[in-house]
Amino acid sequence: MCEANVYLKRGDKEELLMEKVDRITVEGETIFLVSVFGERKMLKARIKEMELVDHRIIMEEIPWEVKATRSKEIWLEPDSKHGHFHPGEEVRFLLYYGYNMQKEEWPNDLELEVYAIVDGETKEVEREKKEGFWIIKLKESKEGLVTACAIAKRGQERLLAKVVIENGHHVHGRLHPAGLPLEIVPSEYRHVHLGEEYEFLVLKDGRPLHQAKVFATYQGVRSANPPHQLTTDERGQGRVMLTAPGNWLFSVQDHDTVSTFTLVKDY
Amino acid sequence: MCRDSTPLEKAVQFHGHICPGLIYGVKAAEFAMKYLEVEPDEDEELVAIVEHNSCGVDAIQAILSCTFGKGNLIFKDYGKHAYTVISRKSGKALRMHLKFNRPRTPEEERYRALTEQEFLRPENKDEMEELRGRILADLLSKPFQDLFDYEEVEVNIPDKAKIYPTVQCEVCKEGVMEPRARRVEGKWICQPCLERREGIKDV
Repeated sequence: MCEANVYLKRGDKEELLMEKVDRITVEGETIFLVSVFGERKMLKARIKEMELVDHRIIMEEIPWEVKATRSKEIWLEPDSKHGHFHPGEEVRFLLYYGYNMQKEEWPNDLELEVYAIVDGETKEVEREKKEGFWIIKLKESKEGLVTACAIAKRGQERLLAKVVIENGHHVHGRLHPAGLPLEIVPSEYRHVHLGEEYEFLVLKDGRPLHQAKVFATYQGVRSANPPHQLTTDERGQGRVMLTAPGNWLFSVQDHDTVSTFTLVKDY
Repeated sequence: MCRDSTPLEKAVQFHGHICPGLIYGVKAAEFAMKYLEVEPDEDEELVAIVEHNSCGVDAIQAILSCTFGKGNLIFKDYGKHAYTVISRKSGKALRMHLKFNRPRTPEEERYRALTEQEFLRPENKDEMEELRGRILADLLSKPFQDLFDYEEVEVNIPDKAKIYPTVQCEVCKEGVMEPRARRVEGKWICQPCLERREGIKDV
């Protein structure tokens, strides 16, 4: 009897993972098990202990770490579950740092500038540092299309964020670029719904950027990296079908600059 | 809500998430409304008969307003992905059933293979999320006829839900709808109490 039973250690407990294992292959952090009955399992773990006399192998799971394939980013979200604001209501945004809509502590060494544009006019905003993120408040709440922008700098690195939100119910009109050096702009401004195709344009210094790699992700994403990786066409445009409810985040990188655009959906 | 939601959004709000099964129900509900030329139900103008109890049924409830609570959602536990929508006004009934031999896309095959693995590598989780998006996008853009077969059927239109008197169970003293209560030795008894009593007798 040379086979062993493999146990997985979770906290203080040991759970039997597979009986009569006759083959264990280790590939980096991944372990493959095969039993004499032909059962196969694969897990991200490390071998913690081998009790060869007792035919027991104890493994410990390796926690799943978020591995970015792109630099960190910053992004803005409206501080409203409603998807828009109403005139008279305080227009507030939340500014986060992280990757793939997974928030991390805001780094202390980032130099930050924030502003808003309401119907083409630049407006002052107030900002308040909270634990790990910022709250951005518009000083006056006027009906219109509000674009909030954030620019965070650290040496040569520039992290840009933009969000567009309606203040009021009957806001229409063309959406102009905010003038960021690298910017994602919706091809047209409209109420966007789940299940629809969404088209956007990437601009670098105001000109369409073709062959740009754009990542698209959404609230509640279950993968470590954005599930959609798109490339802009010769007109600098890209499109994706919105297959998840909630807000979506688009991000593009060009050398030391990462720029995001948050698409706010009512649902 | 300040703005109208689309049928898909209503279904997702009700069900809690988006998934292929829910999309099938959305497609069926939207097609039924178009085919029968009806609006979502207000007060039992429509009846839906569902032959399974999975995700798509929630889309029928959310979009057609044929609901379990209203009594115009009838569940027949046949394990078949089929829906029959009846218009009381026109007397027409439309039965729709998911095509059996619809070929799976490579994305669906791969997704299925990954879901069968007990432990996934992080890159597999990334792949699954991406595949999920592609599968949903593919289903959303498919016409109804690619997914379902349908036909008009003859059905006995079920009566509208009735309100019955409530009687008191002799054992638990709770109220129970009269047709669901049993008369035992001249006294009303509810079904759980009767089952309990019969269970004790069996011992």
